Amino acid sequence: MNIENRRYVIIAFIITVGVMYIFRLFYMQVIDDSWSDRAHQISEKRREITPPRAVIFDRNHTKIVANKTYFNLMVIEDKMGPNFDTLAFAELIGWTKQEIHERFAEIIKGEGIYYNRHNNTRISNYQRIRPYPFLKELTKAEMAKIAPYLDAFPGFFEEETSMRFYPYPNAANILGYLSEVNAKEVKEDNFYKPSYNIGRAGIERYYEKELRGLKGVHYVVRSALNNDVKKYEDGIYDTVAQQAPPIELGLDIKLQAYGEKLMKNKKGCIVAIEPKSGEILSMVSAPSFDPNLLVGRKNVSRHYPKLLKNKDKPLYPRPTQAEYPPGSIFKLVQSLVGLQEGVIEPNTSFACNKSLVGCHNHPAPSSIERAVQYSCNPYFYYAVKRIIQQGKENSVFKDAAVGLTLWDKYMRSFGFGEKLQSDLTGLRSGIIPNTKFYDHWYGKHKWAFSTIRSIAIGQGEVKMTPLHMANLAVIMANKGWYYDPHFAKKIGEVPVTSFKKHQTMVEEKYFEPVISGMWSVVNEEAGTAGRARIEGIDICGKTGTVQNPHGEDHSVFIAFAPKENPQIAIAVIVENAGFGGTWAAPIASLMIENYLTKDCKHPEKELRVLKANLLEP
Amino acid sequence: MRKTKSLINNLDWPLFIGFISLIVFGLITIYSVAFNEEHPNIFSFSEKYGKQIMWIGIALFLGVMVFLIDSDIYKKYAFPIYLATLSLLVIVLFMPPINGARAWLGVGSMGIQPAEFAKISTALLLSKYVSSLNMRDLNPTNVLLALLILLVPMVLILLQPDAGTFVVFTAFFFVLYREGLTFDPFLLKFVNLIPKVRFKQTWLGSHFIPILFVFVFLSIITLLFGERNIPLIPGLKLYGSVGIISTLFILGAIGTFFVQRFGLKRAKSKAQLVIILCFILGSGVSLTVEKSFGSLAQHQKDRIELFLGLKEDPNGKDYNRNRAMAAVGSGGLLGKGYKNASVSSVRTNHVPESETDFIFCPFAEEWGFIGSFSLVAVYIFIIVRILIVAERQRSQFNRIYAYSVGMFFFYHFAVNLGMNIGFAPVIGIPLPFFSYGGSSMLSFSIMVFILLKLDSQRRHVLR
Repeated sequence: MNIENRRYVIIAFIITVGVMYIFRLFYMQVIDDSWSDRAHQISEKRREITPPRAVIFDRNHTKIVANKTYFNLMVIEDKMGPNFDTLAFAELIGWTKQEIHERFAEIIKGEGIYYNRHNNTRISNYQRIRPYPFLKELTKAEMAKIAPYLDAFPGFFEEETSMRFYPYPNAANILGYLSEVNAKEVKEDNFYKPSYNIGRAGIERYYEKELRGLKGVHYVVRSALNNDVKKYEDGIYDTVAQQAPPIELGLDIKLQAYGEKLMKNKKGCIVAIEPKSGEILSMVSAPSFDPNLLVGRKNVSRHYPKLLKNKDKPLYPRPTQAEYPPGSIFKLVQSLVGLQEGVIEPNTSFACNKSLVGCHNHPAPSSIERAVQYSCNPYFYYAVKRIIQQGKENSVFKDAAVGLTLWDKYMRSFGFGEKLQSDLTGLRSGIIPNTKFYDHWYGKHKWAFSTIRSIAIGQGEVKMTPLHMANLAVIMANKGWYYDPHFAKKIGEVPVTSFKKHQTMVEEKYFEPVISGMWSVVNEEAGTAGRARIEGIDICGKTGTVQNPHGEDHSVFIAFAPKENPQIAIAVIVENAGFGGTWAAPIASLMIENYLTKDCKHPEKELRVLKANLLEP
Repeated sequence: MRKTKSLINNLDWPLFIGFISLIVFGLITIYSVAFNEEHPNIFSFSEKYGKQIMWIGIALFLGVMVFLIDSDIYKKYAFPIYLATLSLLVIVLFMPPINGARAWLGVGSMGIQPAEFAKISTALLLSKYVSSLNMRDLNPTNVLLALLILLVPMVLILLQPDAGTFVVFTAFFFVLYREGLTFDPFLLKFVNLIPKVRFKQTWLGSHFIPILFVFVFLSIITLLFGERNIPLIPGLKLYGSVGIISTLFILGAIGTFFVQRFGLKRAKSKAQLVIILCFILGSGVSLTVEKSFGSLAQHQKDRIELFLGLKEDPNGKDYNRNRAMAAVGSGGLLGKGYKNASVSSVRTNHVPESETDFIFCPFAEEWGFIGSFSLVAVYIFIIVRILIVAERQRSQFNRIYAYSVGMFFFYHFAVNLGMNIGFAPVIGIPLPFFSYGGSSMLSFSIMVFILLKLDSQRRHVLR
């Protein structure tokens, strides 16, 4: 080849390279979208902003659940620089050098982990340029001690977070608590990301969706150092985070606090309900604890194990999950059913025959009213026998089966043996034994009333939760109906209407004599609950003493007041406190008085209750 | 007066306008990339755009100076100039390193890189020496001396180390190839030792340089596309040597078609043979490189992969390339709009050095394919125009110098853009007249103004 022609080779080569580059650029820029996606991934960030959770008010519009600002001490390893003085930093935050090294190792191992939705794996995504919390959940005071000296430690800075705060140290069992979501929850609901909080119990759990609010999304252009540079497209796609509207509960926090005070040094519970609405006014589970103990990771890890190990089980939600035999309060229901079935009349009398079933000494029960007043066991033995053994079948066994089936239907109309509908989680149903139950136990047609007679006085197989007992007080107050017992009154400005009214199978007219009996229980000399008497308030109640094979009997009392137009229905159970009239009755009366009059006319009664320590030594 | 008029008449205006347009577009891009809201004025000397304007001013002033000096002195004083820059290259080795390289003379941002100016002085001396040779009768000493002129500055630059400028110096091999400087004197010595063989020239010797380049090019491409799982031909998932061989086959088929359709009858069979030979050789090289790379020890592989930017290391050569490609690729057809670069702006800083070595990123991101197509077109136009200017020179000295300038441009263009689109390893060399930076602006301006001056006086040679 002629040397002069080499110029064409070189020019051709240069033009070829140019054409190749143009084709490549055309492919990269116009045809292939993957680089564009990559650019979005690199430079833009979808930043989600979670609003503070909704606040919660009680029935008097007192704030009972609020939010408080806390601080995280964040660190970006990349910005720390080579001259990080571990010793000085350790001194500042009051740690040892060793602990600081351990914390860094922990962050690198754990904090960067994220859950990959696509292949169900957890990947450590730790990056030196990203901020991670070094210390979490510092209070304003704690942060104030550190903040002025942070300038000496580049890479460290403070960040605000919001956590729950409970102005009253009460109602922990009602409100519940928050904790970090688990991997399953993250997977199931797009709202959550690791380290988000979710309601774990009580109102926080049941109304999680109503409380968490609407997340805001900000699209930002992000720098290589993970700093925000500007809003993407001037923020036209951004949405604002919206805190959910407050929830108003039927709870009366003052009454709740008073109840917790009365139940100090006792085990048991108080459930108070407004009869006409079904709103729960107070629900004490004793022993109780301060809900602030379970706010934030730090607190939970410090207090939760202690609460869990406490022998008196403060974390056990007694009002909804403890099942007790109802004892004598069950007699109220039996009287009503007997009257409705026509097997007894208001003035029916039975002899107090202690050979059948034990009883205490009291005048002869000449009517239902008296029977209730004296809580006469043999009387109800006869009455319930008449309900169960109506003589509709020739065989006494078959007859008992028919009778019990009918009786079971009545009981369920009172909500017994079933989970009540409520905005509480983890409710227990209690036990109402039916034919199936006894068939299984004794064999089909091998049992009669005499076999199962202890149900007549609320012992034996029958079991109820304190919520059921309070609901019975509601039914008595309303003369035959109840609303699902519940907490939420209003969500924002919208009244909660999802809770239904239930009618029992007993007509209103049959309630009169029984309620008169309940009035006598409290207000007449021979009544079993003289200690519940309050001047000026017509309290109707019924004591119960629950036999406890493991120790001292449980003291039970249900009541409502005033007799006309009742405002409050209440059940009190004090474990291992003996006779119902001794402790449960006065506590119930103090609660009623406090709720109705905001006063206490019998300070000596209050003092007696407050001083009592009924916990096992 | 007559002199000025003759200057205006003799100046190569297409080239001059090409340079000016590059400078203007470069400045516009720097203004976008480095924009600081506190100093929005383009003349703010605290900002990079203000400084670039200052450099442009100095460059134009130097250009006027170059025009005032008689062009004869370059040939006359080529050797002293060469020695002077060599001594600067030695001095610079004793300077404190900046970013790991002893490349800067001077203080802070006002420093200069002697390596940039070594390009000019080497070009001048090489032009002077090669133009004095008789190409038809070369002896090994001639070839050795020419290589020595090249290799001394190259070694000094490698000591800094400055891999980018070192690579750019290989542009001179193209120039030597054009001038017909062959390696035949060496080869013939060995070949003619064989009894009864008496070659005047060998094919390998005279085409040694392009063959070497093709070999290196194919090797790099094989390694780049073998490891990165990027299909060479869009749509076909063929990687490594398989991809190269398929591409070569397609190119060969296209070549065959053109030869059969348009080729001269007597040249047809010879051209066909050349195509087949090229295909076999290319495939062989590609396969060999891949196989031998596979048999290397891991640390050797690592070193090569690091150099090619195939390996993700903390300081991130592949990180840079990945970000750069994302920036370029996200530009789309029309771009994101001026000052709207989101990946490659200095404010986000995803692409490092986005106002110097990676300035093509923000340009391509903001102006899209339309912009990048135009820029490639302008560079190719300028390079080809320089070669046309070179070919019209009557003096061989002028021609060799012009070729050197053209090939420098080509190298800077091809490597700089190539690393933005995954066609070249990440080597830090600036885009001429476009990137921010004083050294590059000044050295390229002097280089180009000398060329324009030589060109304007090309007719004087006969007088």
